[in-house]
Amino acid sequence: MTMFHFFNCAILTFGPHAVYYSATPLSEYDTLGTSVKAALVYLGTALVKLVCLATFLQVSENDGFDPYQELLKALIGFIDVAGLYFALTQLTHRNISQNHKFQAVGLGWAFADSVLHRLAPLWMGARGLEFTWEYILQGLEANANLVLSISLAALASLIWLRKNKPKTLIPIIYACAGIVATMPSITSYLRRGLGWYFPKVVGFELFTSLVMAFISWQLFSACQRPSA
Amino acid sequence: MATLKKSTELLESMYSVIALLFILVACVELCDAAAAVDVYRLIQYDMSGSPFGSRFAALNHHAASLSFPPGADLSRTVLIIPLRELNITFVREYITQKKPLGGLLFLLPEVLSFKHGGNKQVHEKEKMKKLLAELERLLVHSNIPYPVYFAFENDDIDTVLADIKKNDAMGQPATATTGGYKLVIPTAEPKKVASPTITNIQGWLSGLKADGDANQLPTIAIVASYDTFGAAPALSVGSDSNGSGIAALLEIARLLSLLYSNPKTRGRYNLLFGLTSGGPYNYNGTQKWLRSFDQRLRESIDYAICLNSIGSWDNELWIHVSKPPENAYIKQIFEGFSNVAEELDLKVGLKHKKINISNPRVAWEHEQFSRLRVTAATLSELSVAPELFEGTGGLFDGRQYVNETAIIRGVKLVAESLARHIYGHQGKNVQIFADESSLAVNPAYIRSWLDLLSQTPRVAPFLSKNDPFVMALKKELADHADEVNVQHENLEGIFTFYDSTNARLNIHQVASVTFDLLLLLVLGSYLIVLFCFLVITTRGVDELISLFRRPPSRKVKTA
Repeated sequence: MTMFHFFNCAILTFGPHAVYYSATPLSEYDTLGTSVKAALVYLGTALVKLVCLATFLQVSENDGFDPYQELLKALIGFIDVAGLYFALTQLTHRNISQNHKFQAVGLGWAFADSVLHRLAPLWMGARGLEFTWEYILQGLEANANLVLSISLAALASLIWLRKNKPKTLIPIIYACAGIVATMPSITSYLRRGLGWYFPKVVGFELFTSLVMAFISWQLFSACQRPSA
Repeated sequence: MATLKKSTELLESMYSVIALLFILVACVELCDAAAAVDVYRLIQYDMSGSPFGSRFAALNHHAASLSFPPGADLSRTVLIIPLRELNITFVREYITQKKPLGGLLFLLPEVLSFKHGGNKQVHEKEKMKKLLAELERLLVHSNIPYPVYFAFENDDIDTVLADIKKNDAMGQPATATTGGYKLVIPTAEPKKVASPTITNIQGWLSGLKADGDANQLPTIAIVASYDTFGAAPALSVGSDSNGSGIAALLEIARLLSLLYSNPKTRGRYNLLFGLTSGGPYNYNGTQKWLRSFDQRLRESIDYAICLNSIGSWDNELWIHVSKPPENAYIKQIFEGFSNVAEELDLKVGLKHKKINISNPRVAWEHEQFSRLRVTAATLSELSVAPELFEGTGGLFDGRQYVNETAIIRGVKLVAESLARHIYGHQGKNVQIFADESSLAVNPAYIRSWLDLLSQTPRVAPFLSKNDPFVMALKKELADHADEVNVQHENLEGIFTFYDSTNARLNIHQVASVTFDLLLLLVLGSYLIVLFCFLVITTRGVDELISLFRRPPSRKVKTA
């Protein structure tokens, strides 16, 4: 019975990635290679981030919200963005349209993130006798993360890959990119500083991810028009 | 050829990875519990081959409370029964009619716990005592084919029980398909205790031998049995039976050793103090101890006083004898005690019970002496002889049920009577152990020993040869006596005991299989909706429809 629960939480956490890949034109153009490369880049950036965190961060005794530490964590989080930049621009992709490139990169990024952060707790915890809602909430969080990663990849591709953008939209693009990039800090502030419970935080993440996705979609299509 | 070799190598490395995975799977601990509680198992023993007590230890079943829907199948359920809701007839019915049950968990009020209860007052003492005595009698003499455990109530368990009651009231007993709570005790099967030892401790105080006195001095023996027996061996502390006797014996030994330390006040009697084990088992230990004596020593014993449960009486004590009251020695002893009793403002009665040599049941310790023709009597607050395994320190026999004033008065009675006999002051109005004197009874000493005894379960088969408590008793007696001897014997053949007396209970809150099935359904539909949504937004509705339509053109073309 408990393996059943593990299976359920696993398909909630990893299913959407597979569905996304097969449903969108990504599967037609065989962009699996790009996603795998993006996942490997994520692994690399995660290691670099770990090293930086270990070097610069102090372990706090209490579980409160320390603004200085959180600021440092946010700065280190920008290494994420750098990694994404690397994946988008430096890796040699086959001739895929930009539209699909950012989707593939975002998908690979989100999948690697889910696997690294959520697979081990899921394996250890969801198979136990004790029932908690935690793993279902974690799966929902993974879904929100997928949407956020794809929007971040979209905005990043707008920033670095598209040469001609309408001038008015540029600051909005950067602002949105900034918000999405600092999402982890915002959620940890909510959890520790304001003391929100996990379901509330997950709800907030889902909501903001949908909003950000919508905004970035609009921005992307707005930038699409002049070149079309 | 090279490719074949490569593929086999690859397969081998795969096998090692899979093996590693299996090891990882096996090492995962599933101990993430909602609550973890210490539980104490019902005793399991065989008497002359017949099994008694609870025969199993491991538990892995769903929990239910007493408000389960009638007619529900309880063969894979554990009933949780708090003491205040206990209905003895209900439990008796279940046990005697051998109705199938997954397990029983009795919840005792926290005040009875010697670890956490402290000195809180017990409400409705007498009612609880009666109820616990009845429950214990029922459980100890029945053969129960499922695990029975005792636990103390605390906040965690109370919330769990309230939750279970709510679920049961809705008519849904917990099973694999309806969720609820699961009780898991992961212990191994109980094994026989290999060779249970009983340890007798004796202390000897030599009397003053006058010069030219060739004969051996007469001896007076004071004996108390220190081990207990109860429904839950890990909780059998026996404060009254026989913690009170032991505390009294140690205090008497202390007082008499003070007198004997000075040659001028040493009496003309030897004193023999005995702390015997094997009390609940027809005073087996006492019998072995007496048999080990030299014939001359046994004949030199003038009389023996056995102490049994002198901790919770008000005004009346009983002296139980097996020789007829008309016997000169018995008369002398009784008169001595009565005189002192009058002065101390309490009553002492004499009870005579003939011994039946063919009956193996030995109800009082003095009967073992009488069987070897030594004059003996038992001083006790009980007026009737206890049955087998009764009055041996059960669930209710904790610190709250003992009154140290009673013990102090008992000590005064015995010590004064003995001293008057030793020094020949019978009938005289002399107080040897007067209050405020250097020989006064020390309440703090009695209290500290009583507290220690009330926190030490002392069931003989579970006390090893070098148990620290037994060593402590030996050391204490050595402080007061000239010579201390320890005798180890094996517990006699008809009793066999099984181990596993306490364990840790994990209470897990589990979700039902139906919940997971529902979840699977919801997730399946979510993924399908997501798939359709993405196909529609990225490729168009036509693509979606075309996925479900078979390609029709092929057949037409070949035709």
